[in-house]
Amino acid sequence: MNPRVVGANLVVSIKSFYREKTAMFFTMAFPIILILVFGTIFMDQENVSFHLYVQDLDHTDSSAQLVNTLELNGKFQITKVEPAVNATQYAKNNKLNLVLTIPEGYERSLMQRMMRNDPNASATITYIYDPSSTSVATKMEILNSVFAEINQRMSGKPPFIRSAETSILTKKYRFIEFFIPGIIAMAVMTASLFGTVNVNTELRQKGVIRKLSTTPITRTDWILANILYQFLLAVISTIAMLLVSYAVFHVSLQINAWLPVFIVLDVFAFVGIGMILTRFVREAQSAAAAANAIMFPMMFLSGSFFPIEMMPGFLQTLAGILPLYYVNEGLRASMVFVDNMAALRHSAIIGVFAAVVFILGIIATKWEEGK
Amino acid sequence: MMKEAEHVIEVEKLTKRYGDLLAVNDISFNVRKGEVFALLGPNGAGKTTTVEIIDTIRTPTSGKVSLLGMDVTKKKHDIVPRIGVLPQGFSSFDRITVRETLQYYSRLFRLRDTDVDGLIELVTLKDKTQEIYKNLSGGLQQRLGIAIALVNDPEVVFLDEPTTGLDPRARREVWDVLLGLKKKGTTVFLTTHYMEEAELLADTVAIISKGKIIAMGSPGELIESNANYLVLTLQFVDEQAFEIVRKMGFEPVQDNRKNIKVRVEHTDDVQKILNAIKDAGTSLHSLDVRKPNLEEVFLKLTGEALREGPAGGRGAE
Repeated sequence: MNPRVVGANLVVSIKSFYREKTAMFFTMAFPIILILVFGTIFMDQENVSFHLYVQDLDHTDSSAQLVNTLELNGKFQITKVEPAVNATQYAKNNKLNLVLTIPEGYERSLMQRMMRNDPNASATITYIYDPSSTSVATKMEILNSVFAEINQRMSGKPPFIRSAETSILTKKYRFIEFFIPGIIAMAVMTASLFGTVNVNTELRQKGVIRKLSTTPITRTDWILANILYQFLLAVISTIAMLLVSYAVFHVSLQINAWLPVFIVLDVFAFVGIGMILTRFVREAQSAAAAANAIMFPMMFLSGSFFPIEMMPGFLQTLAGILPLYYVNEGLRASMVFVDNMAALRHSAIIGVFAAVVFILGIIATKWEEGK
Repeated sequence: MMKEAEHVIEVEKLTKRYGDLLAVNDISFNVRKGEVFALLGPNGAGKTTTVEIIDTIRTPTSGKVSLLGMDVTKKKHDIVPRIGVLPQGFSSFDRITVRETLQYYSRLFRLRDTDVDGLIELVTLKDKTQEIYKNLSGGLQQRLGIAIALVNDPEVVFLDEPTTGLDPRARREVWDVLLGLKKKGTTVFLTTHYMEEAELLADTVAIISKGKIIAMGSPGELIESNANYLVLTLQFVDEQAFEIVRKMGFEPVQDNRKNIKVRVEHTDDVQKILNAIKDAGTSLHSLDVRKPNLEEVFLKLTGEALREGPAGGRGAE
């Protein structure tokens, strides 16, 4: 190994990258765009609030108080519908999935129940709804639970079954905080795999590798330079992703020594896979296809975007054999759950994997074109 | 023994097979120190295979190749720092400038005192030093490739088809660079399918066809021993001149520009033909008498043309 030779290759790689503006933009911007898009989508879901249209046919203090209770629940933004209009027609015309109608005589029935304790006095609130809407069921469930609570209170007895929540986490984390370690792992994988495969097949196809084989550069120098370059890109891209996450979504993540450890292992594992692919795929185009074939299942099945618990059992088992799964889990263990033992466990698994594929990658890399 | 010591390349019974294909078939030759040695042959003759075995890119099936006194199959690491190679279809990093490329290769050879400016001057790329590789024309890219091959001040330079794919002007510019190397006394091993290139640059030419060397010597020797005749070309003559020459017992060939080419043994024959045309009162615009070139030698030896299409350069005269 010669540091000057490694350095010379590193400089060439960085200059080439810097001078190819579109590639630079997409390498850096793609993960950031993902974070912004998914972060925005899921941020809304966390503070979800539904529009609710209410037609108050009773028009009394009591009915107004009911509407007020719904509003105070925090899940609804209430819009009032004039009592004069036909609510069904109104919902149709305005493409509303739910209009709540408080019947005339609501207050009267309420008084009968409260004052005279008449068990037959009741009020029927009507849901005028569109069953084809996906969110209407959620709205109705929330409304049902609000009404159930009102009914329970009116019974005058304290509830028998109560519920209490105990989180297994030291603190409550948000989806975006779960998401970011996955995107970091994925972005580093993509850059390492594609970078290695594209650059090496292109240089081989163009004959640059053949020229290099007539110079004193060794395979070790070449591979080491490649690894360093990919690590550098990974660090820059990770910093960019974290800055955006902190600035835009105010995430709370633990940044500790595990982060560089997992980035290094991620780089080694996927540069190794890239080197093995380069050996077997001759053309640059088929190399990109082969890299995609490895990357896409990895991206979706190893829990980069969503927890693997959401997948069917056999897919969860499959996730267990994907290297990216261990990077994802390891990064989450260190950045979100602050679980050093879990991080250690995952780093050991991905570490062994990275060592094996990297050694295979070195063996697979060859300079000479012919035999 | 003295002569042996002068050989920088010794090839003995070299054979290379790719499966059933016999690319190089039992060839032997030596290259002397300081000479320009050209391996001349058509595409697929085995030129590149031969040069890539000598410059350590490939390994032979059998035979012995020694370069600078070392076995190429065993001493690659000792040989590489002492040679310079322009491989066939040379290419470099697209977005790296001329100067940066030379600095990069200099570092690969672990050198600190490479005269990058001198090399740039040698291949006349002075006004392109800040240009990235991708933006250079084919001829300039090849010239940069030659400069790279010289970055370690090599004892032997291998140039595998340095002008293939270049237009005539770019080719001449590369030749100027190579003539400069020749003047400096650099040992150059060149492969080409342009006979003009071999004739202009080489001290020794080895003609290779179907994996075999079929003739070897200086361009002059090859022509002398294989094509002992003169070519008389009569330009813009009347139709009847062709008949006159044919009746004299020669075998004239007419091209579509009304030129007649005749092979003659002796200068006396030229006189006879001219006299006969003059006596017949036929007009003659101009004439040309010359020795045959390597193209014709190759044609005679192999029965095939060196490359497809118009024979280029002088062939059309």
